[in-house]
Amino acid sequence: MTLSFMRNKIVEVEPQEDGALSVSWRLADSLTEMEMVVKIRPPDLEITEASARVIRSPHLECASAPGSLEKIVGMRVGPGLRKIACGLMGGNAGCAELIEGVLECANAAILHFTVPQIQANAIGTEEERKKRYQDMLRFNPRLVRSCVAFAEDSPLMQGINP
Amino acid sequence: MITFSRTMQVTGEFLKEDLLRLRGILEDHIYAMEIQMEVRVPEGVITAIQGTMKRYTTPVCPRAVDFLQNALGLSLRDPDWIPKINREVGRKGCQHFAEILVECGRCLDQVRMSHDLRETLTAQPSVSPFEFNRSWVKNHPEAQNSCLARLQG
Repeated sequence: MTLSFMRNKIVEVEPQEDGALSVSWRLADSLTEMEMVVKIRPPDLEITEASARVIRSPHLECASAPGSLEKIVGMRVGPGLRKIACGLMGGNAGCAELIEGVLECANAAILHFTVPQIQANAIGTEEERKKRYQDMLRFNPRLVRSCVAFAEDSPLMQGINP
Repeated sequence: MITFSRTMQVTGEFLKEDLLRLRGILEDHIYAMEIQMEVRVPEGVITAIQGTMKRYTTPVCPRAVDFLQNALGLSLRDPDWIPKINREVGRKGCQHFAEILVECGRCLDQVRMSHDLRETLTAQPSVSPFEFNRSWVKNHPEAQNSCLARLQG
């Protein structure tokens, strides 16, 4: 059968010369097209700039959505971000897509810092890789029980006291 | 240079009038995986689900595929459906599978409205899409209260 709907989202992280991260986000689906740029400044991951544009939307009200983005300037990417962003951007009375977009930009910024660690973890023998994952768990205890790889019965958890 | 990018694609296809297939594909610099689920509409109950991990970070990750079945029977209309997915599919299995599943689930009413809009515009090309969409939301209370454009009343 033919599709009734297709959605494509892309988020990209580009380090800037001044050390900040420019994160661009774009959503294009059968009903909606919008884009957003967020600037995040390490090391505290403060959002220093945020702007959005609605190009195509299913409802007239969507045109006012980008105005909510200025409220997230000054926020930091970290624990509690979802609750804070939802609150500042209007929750169910705001734009659900832009709120998710902000969270996806934040997630992408975190993953930008994660890539080198993942690349380093992939090198060496199985035992060497296991040891590196366990060192990562000891340094980031929040990862314990965060997914199947770090569940208590995972082979990666053998020898680690959760 | 782009140091990290992620692409997420969601598609919606009606298998029958009351059965929707949602497919979600995630590809980024670290992960690549996809899920496919069937959802009974308009209740939003997940009646079937499967997934594939194509690129992942540890040899344990593929175990997460089995935890997709924890989503069976869950309704996308349940006020707590996202936390339940994050817990039962994400935390027990894979958080990225959960992200795909949530993105697919969030598209439920967009798929339905898009389908109905397309059918209407085919039969009546002069219909205003904005007016149709406003009327569609008004006539589908289950799709209300999800954003500024869909506030009840």
